[in-house]
Amino acid sequence: MEIVPLGQISPDQVILWSWGFVTINATILYTWLVMAILVGGSILVTRNLSSEINASRWQHFLEVIISVVRGEIGEMTRKGADHYIPLIGTLFLFICTSNVLAVVPGYVAPTSSMTTTAALATCVFIAVPYYGISRNGVFHYVKEYFQPNFIFFPFHVMGELSRTLALTVRLFGNIMSHEKVIGILLAVTPFLFPVVMQILGLLIGVIQAYIFAILSMVYIASALSAEDEVHHNVDINKEGVSA
Amino acid sequence: MHIDWFVFLAQIFNFLLLMYLLKRFLYGRIIKAMDDREAKITARFAEAEDLKVKANEEAELYEKRNRMLHEKKEIMLNEATMAADAKRKELMDQVRRDVDAVKARWQDMLVREQDAFFYDLRQRAAKQLYATARKALADLADVELEDRIVDEFIRRVKELDEEKSVQIRKAISGGGNKVVIQSAFGIAEPKQAQIEEALKKQITNGFTIRYLREPDIVSGIELRVNGNKIAWSLNEYLETLVESLTETLQREAHAA
Repeated sequence: MEIVPLGQISPDQVILWSWGFVTINATILYTWLVMAILVGGSILVTRNLSSEINASRWQHFLEVIISVVRGEIGEMTRKGADHYIPLIGTLFLFICTSNVLAVVPGYVAPTSSMTTTAALATCVFIAVPYYGISRNGVFHYVKEYFQPNFIFFPFHVMGELSRTLALTVRLFGNIMSHEKVIGILLAVTPFLFPVVMQILGLLIGVIQAYIFAILSMVYIASALSAEDEVHHNVDINKEGVSA
Repeated sequence: MHIDWFVFLAQIFNFLLLMYLLKRFLYGRIIKAMDDREAKITARFAEAEDLKVKANEEAELYEKRNRMLHEKKEIMLNEATMAADAKRKELMDQVRRDVDAVKARWQDMLVREQDAFFYDLRQRAAKQLYATARKALADLADVELEDRIVDEFIRRVKELDEEKSVQIRKAISGGGNKVVIQSAFGIAEPKQAQIEEALKKQITNGFTIRYLREPDIVSGIELRVNGNKIAWSLNEYLETLVESLTETLQREAHAA
């Protein structure tokens, strides 16, 4: 029995076109496919949007997804959910679509490439200080790294890096390993069992998309919470003065 | 665990591009549509609430009007009933008065008819009685009876009181000193002399007596002078008898 090396499973290894540093591989191709599906579908559905009660089924479908994302974000940030929808919603839709399309034969999910998951995690890694600073200012954001005292600064930095790495590896590990399991099972029991595993794979794909999006939101929310605490303290002081 | 840095950067770019495109074509539009719908639904609910309030107010107004109309109807009905009662009473009174009037007229007529009947009866009875009595007296009449009648007449003349005598005296003088004595039979000369003597003695001298026969004076004799009269006849008894008979008949009729 031939053991396939891990590197050969990754779509990064399937190079379609290369010119020096520039490389177009299967990961980018399938990413563009997912992007095309998402953007094309959005344009098609939102072309004839209706604000009446009688909307199309696809519009209702998208509205349900957006409502769920909005609700989840709202629960964590309590206000201004619409501000985070583009990042969190796009993360969820992209990862979910990438994973669900894995049932199509010949398709390899871009999320099974660690390059993609690292890129997504990096986006989150940049988004957290971006939102934190844009809401609270640099001082409050940086001050959080020295709480409760300056000794904790390296731990905060390590925490930031490690959770980014965790995001990267969790998604990559789940999707890649699932595909690897499917590949092995196809070799061992080529009939009914891989189908069951494919169904399980759909579930795992959606759950991973949800986890990635929710964790990203949690990280952003934790950066925002400093501002809430500041406002909270100010409110308490005001009440104390007025009393 | 190989990471291709070009692909890494390309994926970041791809993700940011996808984020922009989705924000442009999906989130913005969908969220706007949802918010618009929510606003519309809120507006509709508010409108429905307003309409509900208005409808309630209208309903209360109509209820009030309905109640007022009902009360007005009751009042009008009561008034109409009272008016109808009053009119009925008035008409009943009118009818009663009419009936009473008709009844009174009828009773009058009845009384008149009764009177006429009794008058007629009395007349007939009297006539019959006259006829019978006259026939009986005529059958019985003889000189002796006639003398007795004249004697009774003379006795009455003699028994006249002073006032009556003066009254008759004045009547005789006022009537041209003429006295008429009527009788149902012829009076013999000696009796005529007795009468004349009694009159002259009781009343006055200086008058002339004229004797007339009048069969209607039933077995009687009477002196008439200028509205005054001295008489005796069976007529008085007959009239009393007829009065008595009339009363008896009327009592019988009322009892029936």
